Amino acid sequence: MEVQAVQGGVPAAEPELAITLREFTLSDADAEAFMSWASDPRVVRFQRRPPLHRRPRPAAPLVPRHLRRRPPRGLHLRQARRAGPRGRRPPFMASVGYRVAREHWGRGVATRAVTAAADAVFAAWPWLRRLEAVADVENPASQRVLEKAGFVREGVLRQYIMLKGRPRDMVMFSIVDTDRGEHKQPVVETHGP
Amino acid sequence: MEQSSQETPRAVEVTLRPFELSDVDAMMVWASDPQVAAVCSWDAYESTEPLLAFIRDAVLPHPWYRAICLAGEDRPVGAVLMMPTGDLCRAEIGYHLARAHWGKGVATAAVKRTVAALFDEMEGLERVEALVDVANPASQRVLEKAGFTREAVLRKYCAIKGVVKDMVMFSFINTDPLVE
Repeated sequence: MEVQAVQGGVPAAEPELAITLREFTLSDADAEAFMSWASDPRVVRFQRRPPLHRRPRPAAPLVPRHLRRRPPRGLHLRQARRAGPRGRRPPFMASVGYRVAREHWGRGVATRAVTAAADAVFAAWPWLRRLEAVADVENPASQRVLEKAGFVREGVLRQYIMLKGRPRDMVMFSIVDTDRGEHKQPVVETHGP
Repeated sequence: MEQSSQETPRAVEVTLRPFELSDVDAMMVWASDPQVAAVCSWDAYESTEPLLAFIRDAVLPHPWYRAICLAGEDRPVGAVLMMPTGDLCRAEIGYHLARAHWGKGVATAAVKRTVAALFDEMEGLERVEALVDVANPASQRVLEKAGFTREAVLRKYCAIKGVVKDMVMFSFINTDPLVE
């Protein structure tokens, strides 16, 4: 683990920790970077997919947004998924998830990335009213990321998902357009009678 | 124990059965009611032809869509349905009831039966959930009386007739006690 400078008992903020988001590529470098955290049991502990043992094939549905450091090393941010959870609702909602390689934990990387991603998707998707994210009740670090990124904690959804064969309670968070001072036109619905 | 005049009446009994095309006239009673349709994503039906098509194309092939009948009667007074989510462990329910039967515990009885049936029938089901508009306290009471837990207000969660609404999330998990 990296040693962090400490001032007055509080770790000093790393100066100029530049965070950018970019799309994944099919390059070997990105695939290796992805493997570095996707195979780490500590990173995937609250993820439904088990740790990867082999590099994913290029056709694997990897996600387009990724935090960039040279070489890419840490964070990957799952793109907010368009459309509501059941498809019968109009696409005004999206969800976000994220993973950070273990060596970059505790430095605000995820918070910065999630904040940047929320800004980016609200700017890019004029139809978006709600961006949501869930965090395991036993993952307070992830809950703090979302709170610091400006998400509102809405409540605990009991036995919401299955994680490695066990039902998990999840904390639901969201940012809505009016949190950001935006007001949109009524939604155009796409379903039938 | 002495019974007070405000004690709830003897519980309503309902049965649930699959719909048939011949139920279209009974379904029309609530499907054509603007007060019922107001809280739903669809507009009140004005004729039976499109409703018949809806029964044929959406209800009959549906994985779990049931007619609510009062005990001893075969004519449906409402409907209750299960909507799959992205996860096998989690199912959502919805219900509609003809207005003449509101306020009598019919929907509550139907929801109780539905929860018991779903946990019995659906392998791997851990959670039944339901979403109700924050502005619909009567429907929220149905779920509370049926033993659901109110978990959260999910903001801007559903679009109903073009308006994005805050919804209350309720759940009944497989370790919750079934309500008699």
